[in-house]
Amino acid sequence: MTPRRRALIEFILDNLVWLMLIVVLIVFSLTVPRFFQFGIFANIFEQSTFVGVMAIGLAIVIISGNLDLSVESTAALSAMVTGLLFATQGIGMGITLGADWLLIPVSLAIALLVGTAIGLINGFLVIRVGMSAFIVTLASFIWVRGLVVAISGGRSAQSLPPAIRVIGIETVLGIPLLAWISVGCFVVFSVLMARTPFGRYVILVGGNPNATFRAGINNDRILWAGFAIAGCLAGLAGWLLAIRTSGATANLGTGMLFNAFAAVVIGGVSLKGGIGRLPGVYAGVLLLYSIHTAINLMGLPAHFTQMILGGLVLAAVLLDTLKLRLRERLL
Amino acid sequence: MTDAQPLLKLDGIARNFGAIEALRGIDMHVDRGEVLALLGDNGAGKSTLVKIIAGGLRPSAGRMLFDGAPRDFATPAEAKAAGIETVYQDLSLCTNADVVANFFMGREITRRVLGIPILQERAMEAVVAQAMAEAGTTIPSLRTNVENLSGGQRQAIELNRFVHWGGKLVLLDEPFAALGVEQTRRGLAMIRQVAARGIGVIVITHIMAQAFAVADRIVVIRQGRVAGDVKSNQTTPEAVIEMITGGTLSGAGPDRDRDTHDPASETEEARQ
Ligand SMILES: Nc1ncnc2c1ncn2[C@@H]1O[C@H](COP(=O)(O)OP(=O)(O)OP(=O)(O)O)[C@@H](O)[C@H]1O
Ligand SMILES: [Mg+2]
Repeated sequence: MTPRRRALIEFILDNLVWLMLIVVLIVFSLTVPRFFQFGIFANIFEQSTFVGVMAIGLAIVIISGNLDLSVESTAALSAMVTGLLFATQGIGMGITLGADWLLIPVSLAIALLVGTAIGLINGFLVIRVGMSAFIVTLASFIWVRGLVVAISGGRSAQSLPPAIRVIGIETVLGIPLLAWISVGCFVVFSVLMARTPFGRYVILVGGNPNATFRAGINNDRILWAGFAIAGCLAGLAGWLLAIRTSGATANLGTGMLFNAFAAVVIGGVSLKGGIGRLPGVYAGVLLLYSIHTAINLMGLPAHFTQMILGGLVLAAVLLDTLKLRLRERLL
Repeated sequence: MTDAQPLLKLDGIARNFGAIEALRGIDMHVDRGEVLALLGDNGAGKSTLVKIIAGGLRPSAGRMLFDGAPRDFATPAEAKAAGIETVYQDLSLCTNADVVANFFMGREITRRVLGIPILQERAMEAVVAQAMAEAGTTIPSLRTNVENLSGGQRQAIELNRFVHWGGKLVLLDEPFAALGVEQTRRGLAMIRQVAARGIGVIVITHIMAQAFAVADRIVVIRQGRVAGDVKSNQTTPEAVIEMITGGTLSGAGPDRDRDTHDPASETEEARQ
């Protein structure tokens, strides 16, 4: 086999999820009435934002060989904190800062800090104490959601000030600003993962931490960073979600974890660690929300969505093993 | 730091794993530009000694002088920073990454763009390609993941890594175990070249011919002690084998164990 042919096959196998996305979009456009519209595509983009941003952090933790089941609750917590501090109705305290333009950076900073703090708590228990990431983050998934209910008293905060809401309303080139934010995150973190030593180390540590330790790489620092990034991006997702819904309820974001996991797996990230690329994850998120949207347009009941998505996750894992075999056969 | 001082000096290095005394007081040294072959039966403690020198294990007792200063490496990173390169017996590669990523692991070539270090893949690939060519290692593509490579190709990556990075002291734990005839010949030649650069080399092998082909000096470890330390041109393979198995020859080091935990060596114990 010529190197060129081999490179081509590698390329296709590596980007299979993009191929699937394109095929699915074409099929939906041809078969689902009212699907092929600019507005629908813009909507898919926008809907993908929250899970997309969350999935970036989740993917990085998983590639580093860990796991974070708490991202959904973390997002809910930072959404609730944002709502609680800045919303003007319900339980919102309606804090006003000296100048309106300060609202966005201050509320964003608080949301990111809340998320990062949860990530660091997870990191401490996993890396320092040496507990299993599955158990630690499952516990966080539960207690952080409990904290959301506790600080809100089960009630909701409504009406964020317009100075914050512009983020959720503005469009650029006809595409919602929210969508641009998630695209921006994917670009930045894709570069970080694919082009910097940090990203390289995340992959290497996820593959064989013994080897990286012997090579003089500080494994713990990489693992800490993974948890911190997952928490921070969950915080960002929560902030965006609060802005989009102009407030927060105690059960905001339930179900996001499954979607984020599905996107990560469909996007080609191996739960074993060490394998996966962020552009693939983004394609996974877009694929997921294309299917959501098509099902909505067809007027199918919601439980069909769940069945189809569950099947899709299985298919993705199956595809992964299939790809391995194909690679062995062809290369 | 005169040249009279050895590059590495070990003084009573001991190491227990629970009740097992893997090393019971190792005294030895390596000079600059010297190739030292470390021999001994399975379980003698060779790999343990290498890991201690390389910073991957802490000794239970003993002192280590490296490059004129007392050292106690807490991590491989510290040993590496001091100039100690290691090829471990169980290979240390990330099979989920490609050849270039493995070759440069922890030492990537980067260029700062807007203050952010960016990997220079092309420059790194060129370096690896040259190192592989010099060693006569053929690998279909430097961009394939290591999981697709043969055991020998994997070992070659690690070997070429140490030749490229050099440092002051190189530790090789059975580096040729998976290599073909020609690759082994080149590997031995590489060791001599590295030593000619003034780098000290400790190479572990079970193959007597390799030890005599490459080493200036042979140190034999038996049951965690130095059982012999001889210049390779002043001894014979037969004599070295006797040291390894615990024969009666002179040169057999201090070996006055009252009790031993190694069941495999009970017969030798009985002879003493
Ligand atoms: N992590 C460990 N825990 C417990 N015992 C260990 C550990 N590492 C090594 N040992 C024991 O220490 C002794 C020396 O082992 P070591 O690996 O140094 O031997 P070796 O000389 O390298 O042998 P080989 O020629 O088979 O590679 C053995 O009895 C081994 O079982
Ligand atoms: Mg060994």
